[in-house]
Amino acid sequence: MTFISFVEGPLLWIAFLTFLIGSALRLLFFITLSTKKDKPVYRYFSFKWMSLSILRWLLPLNVDIKKTPVFTILGYVFHICLLAVPIFYSAHVTLWQESRFGWSWWQMPDHWADWMTLALIAITLFFIIRRIALAEVRIITTASDYLLLIVCALPFITGYINTHPDGSAYAWVTSALPMYGQYTTTIHILTGELMLILIPFSKLSHWILFFVSRSVIGIEFGRRNYSV
Amino acid sequence: MAEAQKQPLTINPESIRQAVDARMNARLKMWMRICAHCGLCADTCHFYTAKNNDPRMVPSFKAQKLKKLVQKKGRVDEKFMQELYDTAYGECTLCRRCTLYCPFGIDMAMMVATLRGILTSQGMTPEGLKAAIQNYLDTGNQMAVSEEDWVETLKWMEEELQEELPGATIPIDKKGAKIMYTVNAREPKYYPQDIQLAAKIFHVVGEDWTFPSKPGWDDTNLAMFAGDIKTAGYIVKLIKDAAEELQVQRVVVTE
Repeated sequence: MTFISFVEGPLLWIAFLTFLIGSALRLLFFITLSTKKDKPVYRYFSFKWMSLSILRWLLPLNVDIKKTPVFTILGYVFHICLLAVPIFYSAHVTLWQESRFGWSWWQMPDHWADWMTLALIAITLFFIIRRIALAEVRIITTASDYLLLIVCALPFITGYINTHPDGSAYAWVTSALPMYGQYTTTIHILTGELMLILIPFSKLSHWILFFVSRSVIGIEFGRRNYSV
Repeated sequence: MAEAQKQPLTINPESIRQAVDARMNARLKMWMRICAHCGLCADTCHFYTAKNNDPRMVPSFKAQKLKKLVQKKGRVDEKFMQELYDTAYGECTLCRRCTLYCPFGIDMAMMVATLRGILTSQGMTPEGLKAAIQNYLDTGNQMAVSEEDWVETLKWMEEELQEELPGATIPIDKKGAKIMYTVNAREPKYYPQDIQLAAKIFHVVGEDWTFPSKPGWDDTNLAMFAGDIKTAGYIVKLIKDAAEELQVQRVVVTE
């Protein structure tokens, strides 16, 4: 098996399964430990406070929009791009169509994907600069915070370079790294797999634990009549 | 700054590790994992703004000291424990304002409160709190008011009250009363007139109320502030037991 077919085959399965099973286990670990050691969550369980708290913070209906509007709005845009481009980019949907699953869904126009990709890269850059520039963020920043920002941006950077072979970025990368031209797609897939694999083991697990944490605090604050 | 730790400090790694393990629940573990270190909590903290935006006052930074302690698995030095102590008591009032602004709703106050509990398990508690906790255990109230003094104070206040309002009473151990009234132990100790004022209101509105003579009348819970959950539970149980013995319908807490 060649390196390319390994990345496109078994490693892809490993990445998706690590992501899915790992995330499910995170959830399961929370449930099994919490039923023993977090009894108040269940004693005061309330679907109302749970859903209210999740909705309020999933949508831009929360206090941070007022307190820190620029960062908060960029945070929303970052997350929308991060999810929308991989899922709705036309070439990705085509791959799903051609796969054994034969799945198909709405595709975004390619120029949307271009702009959203550039937006994500720009916001990542802004986040990195913000972490360095602001003392209150610098003090809580760890090496993994920088690393994960780069890991999230890499599939977008490689994706943009690969889809614009006439662009200056492509010319620059291939002159600095001549072998890149041979492995464009493979490297792009690898970066995506790296991100998927890291999700359950890092703070990226917040993609699922966000809902748990908001539920827990929604129940706790709701019953005390605080803002959820 | 918190008052200096007076007790000589001996580090017992095994005991610290056990104290940490016993307190790690699913929520704390989740919060230590998912904090994105975004810094949105910084300017929500009154310590941060009051100390000229000192980055060391960022709530996430303070709460993540719990993570550091967990990762050390008990292998800590005196300096680290003293730093935790200064943070847990001198840099956080457990007000939870940061949580109101945290996109994940991370309960950083609960994390700092957990630090306090671990420190208490190692004998690192501010002297005032330590004395109060011992008072609860010995006498059932934080000021070590004896049962005799308590009942005497109530009778004295009742006499004075009757000079102004003939027929007004301060009922003690009245079984089946509607309300069991509870106070801060400071009231019998330093401000007994407060009890008289409450009795005056109860009398005027014709409320059916009583005080227990036995422990359970002090509604403060200073053990909670030291993260001493065991004693905190004991204090609440005293109130519950008194209320059940007197068969009251509700417990009323002083302002």
